[in-house]
Amino acid sequence: MKNRFIVALVFMMALFVSTPEAKAQDCDSELYSNMALKKLTDGFTFIKSFKVDGKGGTRRDIEYTCVFSKDTKYKVILQSRDGDATGIIATLFNSKREKLASSHNNGKFYTGWTYVCKATGIYYLRFSFKDSHSYCGGAVLGFKR
Amino acid sequence: MKKGYLVWMLVMVFIIASGFTGNRQHASPKNAPQSDDVANILQSIPSPLEISSLIKEVGGKYDPSHLNNPKFVSNYTMTYKKALNLGIFSTDLGYANLYDQRQDILDYLDAVKSLSDGLGIGQFFDYEQIKKLANSSNNIPELLKVTQQNFENITQHLANNRRESVSVLILAGGWVEALYLTTLVYEKTKDSRLKEKIGEQKIALEQIRKVMNLYSDKPNFKNIIRDLEQLSNVYQKVRIITKDGKTAVRESEGEIIVSNETVSSVQISDGDLANISSLARGIRDKMIK
Repeated sequence: MKNRFIVALVFMMALFVSTPEAKAQDCDSELYSNMALKKLTDGFTFIKSFKVDGKGGTRRDIEYTCVFSKDTKYKVILQSRDGDATGIIATLFNSKREKLASSHNNGKFYTGWTYVCKATGIYYLRFSFKDSHSYCGGAVLGFKR
Repeated sequence: MKKGYLVWMLVMVFIIASGFTGNRQHASPKNAPQSDDVANILQSIPSPLEISSLIKEVGGKYDPSHLNNPKFVSNYTMTYKKALNLGIFSTDLGYANLYDQRQDILDYLDAVKSLSDGLGIGQFFDYEQIKKLANSSNNIPELLKVTQQNFENITQHLANNRRESVSVLILAGGWVEALYLTTLVYEKTKDSRLKEKIGEQKIALEQIRKVMNLYSDKPNFKNIIRDLEQLSNVYQKVRIITKDGKTAVRESEGEIIVSNETVSSVQISDGDLANISSLARGIRDKMIK
């Protein structure tokens, strides 16, 4: 009788914990994008925000396609629920998928990076997680000519 | 034995539960474009603000006659016209914002508010806050930020409600208006940076066509798709040449600065540029009618 009760209880818990709805509610990316936006200064104009939701660790990275223009500086600012940019890395790739910029250098999580663009084209902006506890955050992109 | 059975049951329950959720997806109509694909393409299109800021930078004078007349707003009664012109007026609003044209900002704000309400997304446009910012001086960065955030909220809401096709039309309208404005200012200034910017729109156009084509079965999309295809045919003659260079990374005041010496240049003939200008004008005229 006792065992049946435990099985039923675990079954219900498993169903609840693993629903995508339950996981999705965990990360309020907009909140973190707004926090990142406050750090976008130095004359950069805000153009886009990005959700960085690792769905509780089930999603290892999130990639966005961007069209960047020459003679323009682009700045990415990250905000993690773990605090500052901890646990989140923003990496930029060119259209050949060659790595151009990363916010994780020498073991340190930087708030973001500024990319001085001299070639118009398609770029890929990838957000990934490293030693993250929350797998949750937000990011913003600004430009300056 | 009983304990072993219990452990086996628990393991199975977890495996089954994880398996189910791993494959679980939101139901979507047959052949409907996937939300993630649409969202990623929409996200990739450069903001019209980038073009407007270049127009200002090259010394282009603010000219309200270039913009769509906000009084025309009541002419747009069909959903697709409302969406296209919401995009057009949004670009005009951003342009007026950049030049700090307060009365025009308020007029375009009214037009945007009216169309947003008509599309059932007015609640995501913080009219009062933008109006307040427009009425106070030296608030251009904040004004641009709030306006941009409002449009992101609209796009998000439309995606949540599987109305991405409306977002696609808003985006197409906004992009066509930005291209049209650039061609007009180029005709006056003959600034080479604008010429290059017009040529570079080849990339954005292909992204827009990609997302428009996902809705090719929708009746109102057919004409726009055909018009953009015609524009794309001219753009096929435009060449964007890239010369690879090295990447340099440095740290300045705790920030990472990355420079890449890869450079691009655009080859576009005056004839092709004139054709693009003419087609952009034609497409835009159809949209605002």
